[in-house]
Amino acid sequence: MNRLQIAIKNTALANGLKVVIAPDSTAPVVTVGVYYKIGFRLEPQGRSGFAHLFEHMMFQGSANAPKMQHIKLINSSGGVLNGSTSYDVTNYYEAVPSNALERVLWLEADRMRALKVDDDNLKNQRDVVKEEVRVNVMNQPYGGFPWLDMPPVAFRNWANAHNFYGDFADLDAADLSDVQVFFKTYYVPNNAVLLILGDVKADEGMVLAKKYFEDIPAAPAPQFADPTEPEQSEERRGEVEEKFGTLPAMAIGYAMPKRRTTDWCAMALLDQALHGGRAGRLYRELVLEKQIAVEADGGVDDLFGYNGPTQMTTRILHKPEYSSEATLAAFDGAIREVREHGISADELEQLKVKWRSDYFATLEGGRGGYMPKYGLMHLLACFTLFDNEPQLVNTILDGFLAVTREEILAVAKKYLRNEKRAIVFRRPVKAAKEAA
Amino acid sequence: MATRTVEVATGVPALASERAATWPKRTKARLSNGFEVILAESHSIPKFHGELFFRSGNATFADRAPGLAEMTANVVRTGTTKRVSRQIEEDLRRLGADLSSNAGADTSAISFAGLSEFAEPLLAMVNELAREAVFPEKEFERERRQKLEEVKLERTQPGFLASERLRKVLFGAHPYAQVSPSEEQVAGYKREDLRTVYREAYTPENALLLLVGDFDPSDILKSAEKVLSDWKGAKPSQKTVPPVSKPRGRRVYLVHVPGAVQTQILAGCHAITRKHPDWVKLGLANSLYGGAFNSRLVMNIREDKGYTYSPRSGVSALRQHGYFSVSAAVRNDVVAASLTEIFYEIDKLRSVPVPPAELADAQNYLCGVFSLGLATQDGLLSQLSTIALNELPDDYLESYRAKVRALTPEDLLEAARKYFDSANMQIVVVGDRAQIESQAALFGELEIYDAQGKRAD
Repeated sequence: MNRLQIAIKNTALANGLKVVIAPDSTAPVVTVGVYYKIGFRLEPQGRSGFAHLFEHMMFQGSANAPKMQHIKLINSSGGVLNGSTSYDVTNYYEAVPSNALERVLWLEADRMRALKVDDDNLKNQRDVVKEEVRVNVMNQPYGGFPWLDMPPVAFRNWANAHNFYGDFADLDAADLSDVQVFFKTYYVPNNAVLLILGDVKADEGMVLAKKYFEDIPAAPAPQFADPTEPEQSEERRGEVEEKFGTLPAMAIGYAMPKRRTTDWCAMALLDQALHGGRAGRLYRELVLEKQIAVEADGGVDDLFGYNGPTQMTTRILHKPEYSSEATLAAFDGAIREVREHGISADELEQLKVKWRSDYFATLEGGRGGYMPKYGLMHLLACFTLFDNEPQLVNTILDGFLAVTREEILAVAKKYLRNEKRAIVFRRPVKAAKEAA
Repeated sequence: MATRTVEVATGVPALASERAATWPKRTKARLSNGFEVILAESHSIPKFHGELFFRSGNATFADRAPGLAEMTANVVRTGTTKRVSRQIEEDLRRLGADLSSNAGADTSAISFAGLSEFAEPLLAMVNELAREAVFPEKEFERERRQKLEEVKLERTQPGFLASERLRKVLFGAHPYAQVSPSEEQVAGYKREDLRTVYREAYTPENALLLLVGDFDPSDILKSAEKVLSDWKGAKPSQKTVPPVSKPRGRRVYLVHVPGAVQTQILAGCHAITRKHPDWVKLGLANSLYGGAFNSRLVMNIREDKGYTYSPRSGVSALRQHGYFSVSAAVRNDVVAASLTEIFYEIDKLRSVPVPPAELADAQNYLCGVFSLGLATQDGLLSQLSTIALNELPDDYLESYRAKVRALTPEDLLEAARKYFDSANMQIVVVGDRAQIESQAALFGELEIYDAQGKRAD
């Protein structure tokens, strides 16, 4: 069996910034990431959407690189850049020809040291973010389904249940002092990890990391709100109106175990048994065989990258001639099957081969085809910030490949229970005919 | 038009000297039956990616029905003489493989990726799908019903409605005008039509196999020979197609979506294909205009004015024709303001030579992104398929950057004047008529359509 061993060097600087370097000189390009351990889950109450709005502000100017200069300096070095906000981390990343490495590190260090933004910048990016929400959610069929629809139904703790993209009133209420407070609280070196991957020698990378980052002062460790959910003991249901699409839809989410437990590995494989593409049980059952649904997919969103309550979520768009009840009954049939019989030895074997193959693809993973090693960067960052163990990238696979049929059956019984799930129905306001 | 003073960064480290590029080694081969194969090694992970192309796509068969090649490709994976649908899907998983069968305007393709250790059985599966698909009646009916729902769904997506209208306007009677079938056309698909497309298009003379990944080229070539070399078949006959329409003067096409909270703008004009000698020139001009984050359009209507999240421009190169387009999803009250800036930036590139420093930045950008795109197996595969399908020269990878670096401000002025055809741009706006009609009408004679594509003015 082929394996992949990633060479890694890691350390922490005197100011607490963690540094991970994964050298690979195959291509003359280098990928740099800075991950901060704060996502939209733990953004301030009354400021929904702020973690993401703040991410936009990080491109608006720092002490020595004013507005538009970050983007210009990376693009004109032959590189690409972006950032993204998720549940528990926010990342900033660049992929550049390796001769631009120092420039990238200088830029990331400059904005970690001092953000320099004004009211015009904030107003500008608030407008941009609103158009982002419109293009991705409010003006799209099934926009935000189910990632924005599910949390308020499934969870009781505000941290897990609020609108992560942000209510427009909250976005409007955010001001520059919110920006600076958030920056000073969470964007500190001792709450971050710097990653350098690709065409760099490990020792040289370390020297450069120190040169640009070590004099950024540490700050008190951020205090995080507690994201714990009260124990769920009843099925939860909610409804959301679908403004454009004409197919009824539903999403069913089951609470997931904590990361890095034995149950977690078994659930990850069970997730693939259910949602693994056209061979997955739900697609096969609902789309190919019973032909009730047009789409049936889903799973755990970012298995390695969550650090709080999360769900395994199935997303179904079904034909209008089937009722929600009939569709849910068919879904329940597939769930009952794994709860009663688990999966076969042959199926488990297939899942493990596919898991290994997918894991390799993740490590190489371009993001949108232009960011080599994005997946490796993401895993190294999460294993560092959540586990303080970047080497997990070389060993984590073992846990999944060791899962047994008995463990799969056990987690199916333990987690796939109605009182541990939430269901969101997305109901079209227009009937199919009316739209035609 | 920047209203802020742009400040410059201070203390920026200079770029180090560039590491010499090592270009991936490619092997071009023919199997004993003449089957064309292109291979490239890439050892980043113990996997490989492949694509089996047939040089016939939706445009090829559009005279029979739009989307027929796509429908054929969808049903190809649902059953062969040896395996039923479920067996196919499980066997793919057993090999750790992903596979899709699909069709674009000019090609049909089976795309796949899997573990290197299972290269030969995966090639055998691909071969089986390409040669022994049986189009089971039940699977065909299911896929057709599924397609009906997809066709309805896409009519609720602003991006689809915009590109559908633009393609109709730019291409007229040419098959490239058809991006998707109507519900009636899907309902009219016959299983026999799919089988005919399969018989005509999926032939070795019409095929190209590309493989990139962690393998020894001579080993994988042996596997390909073993699996594919007994395949015989004729090249499909060439068809003549109607010419494209050449719309003159700006016109505006408003696709009315009641209740839309944003407006999708898409404007475009005819340009060139990748084989055209001006391709690189146009690529650089596009990159300066709206093809990069740092481009003029993005800096203007996003970073300065906050009208939109996602402005961009691009050149879509189909095999026979290419077109330039610019898109942005904007706030309803700034449709006219956004179009003004879109044309301001176009006209500026047509009128004023690009300052040398900005040109150098854009050249660096294109050259760097080109290297990034070769650093993954699927990135390399996509470059190699572009080269092969467009019959670009063998040294395309090696010579591309020098061609970009040789361009001058005069070249860009010339490219912008020729291909950013400002006076003849066709403008599509998808949104709520009541909120945007008067703004849209400022930019040309207006035609109004509903989401089903019917004239509604």
